[in-house]
Amino acid sequence: MLQSTPRRSWRVGHCLLVLSTILMAAACSPASQSQQQPTARNRIVYGLTLQPSGFDPHIHASAELGIPLRQVYDTLVYRDPQTQVFVPGLATEWAISPDGLTYTFRLRAGITFHDGTPFNAEAVAANLDRIMNPDTASQRAAFLLGPYLGYEIVDELTIRLILSSPYSPLLDALSQVYLGIASPAALGQFSNQRYQFNQVGTGPFAFVEYVPGDRLVIRRYEDYAWGPPFYDLPGLLSVDEVEFRFFTEPATRATALESGEADIMGELSPIDASFLTANSAIQILPVAAPGQPLQFLMNTQRFPTDDLRVRQALIMATNREAIIDAVFRRFSPLAWGPLSRNMVYAYRELQDLYSFDPAQARTLLEAAGLQDADENGFLDLNGVEIEVNIVAPSWGMIPEVAQLLQDQWRDAGLRVVIDPVPSLNLLLEAVASGEYNLVAFYEFGLDPVFLNRYFISSAPNNWLGYANSALDELLIQATQIVDPNERFVRYAQAQQIIMQDALILPIRDYVNLNGARTSIQNLSFDAYGWFPILNNVIVNPN
Amino acid sequence: MALLRQVGAAMLTLWAAVTLAFFALRLLPGDAIQAQLLRSGASAAVIEQRRAALGLTDPLATQYLHYLAGVLRGDLGVSLIDGQPVAAILARQLGPTLALAGSALLIAIGIGVILGVTAAQERGGSAVVARLLVDLALSTPLYWTGILAIFVFALWLDLLPASGAGRLDQLVLPAAVLGFHTAGSIARVTQANVRAVMVARFVTTARAKGLTRAVILRRHILRVSLPPVLAVIALQAGFLLSGTVITESLFVRPGIGQVLLTAVLRQDYPVVQGVAVWSALAYTLVSLLADAGQRLLDPRVRAFR
Repeated sequence: MLQSTPRRSWRVGHCLLVLSTILMAAACSPASQSQQQPTARNRIVYGLTLQPSGFDPHIHASAELGIPLRQVYDTLVYRDPQTQVFVPGLATEWAISPDGLTYTFRLRAGITFHDGTPFNAEAVAANLDRIMNPDTASQRAAFLLGPYLGYEIVDELTIRLILSSPYSPLLDALSQVYLGIASPAALGQFSNQRYQFNQVGTGPFAFVEYVPGDRLVIRRYEDYAWGPPFYDLPGLLSVDEVEFRFFTEPATRATALESGEADIMGELSPIDASFLTANSAIQILPVAAPGQPLQFLMNTQRFPTDDLRVRQALIMATNREAIIDAVFRRFSPLAWGPLSRNMVYAYRELQDLYSFDPAQARTLLEAAGLQDADENGFLDLNGVEIEVNIVAPSWGMIPEVAQLLQDQWRDAGLRVVIDPVPSLNLLLEAVASGEYNLVAFYEFGLDPVFLNRYFISSAPNNWLGYANSALDELLIQATQIVDPNERFVRYAQAQQIIMQDALILPIRDYVNLNGARTSIQNLSFDAYGWFPILNNVIVNPN
Repeated sequence: MALLRQVGAAMLTLWAAVTLAFFALRLLPGDAIQAQLLRSGASAAVIEQRRAALGLTDPLATQYLHYLAGVLRGDLGVSLIDGQPVAAILARQLGPTLALAGSALLIAIGIGVILGVTAAQERGGSAVVARLLVDLALSTPLYWTGILAIFVFALWLDLLPASGAGRLDQLVLPAAVLGFHTAGSIARVTQANVRAVMVARFVTTARAKGLTRAVILRRHILRVSLPPVLAVIALQAGFLLSGTVITESLFVRPGIGQVLLTAVLRQDYPVVQGVAVWSALAYTLVSLLADAGQRLLDPRVRAFR
């Protein structure tokens, strides 16, 4: 009995030893490759903020994937970051047929993919084939192409895209990373499942590796010489290698910047960003992302927002300045319509349509028949107290904004119920029930074609329950006319209808609060606001 | 025979976990494909087509049998969101998860047992401190201790990295925080067991024999009171192996917890089911091991079986 004790405890200790050895091995094994690679001169860590569902630009849809991949791929055309004008990319020139059905692209000669294979019309065709193949199950790229019918290879360096109906957002689509041109050799070699781990483009950086949940690494492609006009030539201090890592938990982002574990970080919280402005080692770069502002879509089918006066009153009872002060720490411009103010098609005249006016709001509500008969501070109709229900997704500071709305509208005599939804699925469920008055939702983009998904009566996301044939007509025409000025006329009218009918409550233009160490210089973002131009970034440790 | 019975019970547990996960997920509202294509402008017809291609329009019973047959073949299906095989997704996260769970567990056992034994003593300043630490470990939220640790060790003292996985120094902070947190429940049970044994008659006898406190503790008290602690350790091990969502996000580590969190939010059924299978497997294996360990360490358990 006494003898067996030491032997047995030795056995336990032995087990622990073996276990810990296995653990050490496990701890070291999965991620050691990056240490073995020769260290690049200027290697930086870029913090991404969510774990995208995948990194294949033709298949997946997140904005996050474009942050690294915009560096790996070129597109046929680019948009100038300042003017948003289309500029040459892989295509040096293009022509649109008078009927708007044929787009002919003249491709640049002498371009090679990172794997050494040549870029030509065949390559573009192979990419289009892959994107349109139903087996690819593209979540975004295929839809960006709209009424795309097919292509015609004219010669080695000329390709023609054919549409079934005119579609003016096509050029904008072709300038997005989701339609980046990949090496046909690599696409042929790897399955749709595997390609995202073995990507090959023509961009200023080559794809090195993607380890899900951990990192994605890109490295400068030394032979790159065909960038758009706003790409600088790399110098000694230019970034050579970028490791992207996922900082999904907002609380970790500011600390990673401060400790130097990340050199650049996107989507800081407004509080962290204002706090970091005091830190001399860090610069804050707020970038407005064009698209829909943070907006609440109003349900025109449900009481009380079925009444135009109530909808208008809600806008007037909202103190947007106060929301931007409190929630966004003044980092956002105030929004006034369905398009953010940095879009060329934004209709600026809407600016003064509604101002914060609680007295006028109250008058409108009373005109709609709402009274505070029982004098409890809340309005009622025929003795029944009314309630405004807000579906508030958990992202983009929407819960905080909804809470302020609840406060502000209480002053106007309205009882507000907030229905929090933590995911897209639950948002869809809440919307499908029809039991909501407002739902917060927005998307990004430079072409206003996204309006068609929300404001056309037959639209899949017509959560407004709104039908107006005049608005339908304007929005459809605007996507078929090529002339930008003609398009603007349509969009101006459409925006006017949307705001006069008070279909949305716009709050603020979306601003991505980027932070960077001060050693990072020349960091700028492309026309879409989300994607950095890492080609131009310089690392200057002093 | 006993082994056969245990393996049978384990299989039953696995089946129950798989089945429960399968049906519970489908009770949740929403649809992954519709959410995925929300900003694409895809028509209802296209969405329906995609759902059909993934087998989501089949009757639930067909889907279930199909899935079960797959699991039996070792095929956990593919993710609805990114088309990757679920087994491959899980396998990739296994390394970081094992590293974190294992090291946290070692720390937890070490701290937990020492704290528990110390706290079980009737008198002395160290007992008071130990009890305080046990309470602290049990009552402070992981999130809070984690942020505090990052603030002190990464930002202020600049000793350790607060994020990443792969290097050993990146494992220290998360393992320590998670280990301390897990130590609480191990310490509690150790304390209670040691306490209960301390008043046993054979301890009084040992004391009467004139043995020193240290010898009594080591040779008589711990040998009886520690084996039951194994059950708690096994429970904690199962929990840690199923993924630690908060620790992983706080310390920016890959792992099963991260996979689970994103999959749940995106309603990626096959991935969530895969994690459920893995958790059930981990729990079952660990508790089998704990049973075996207990039998090895405690002759009374052997005698009664």
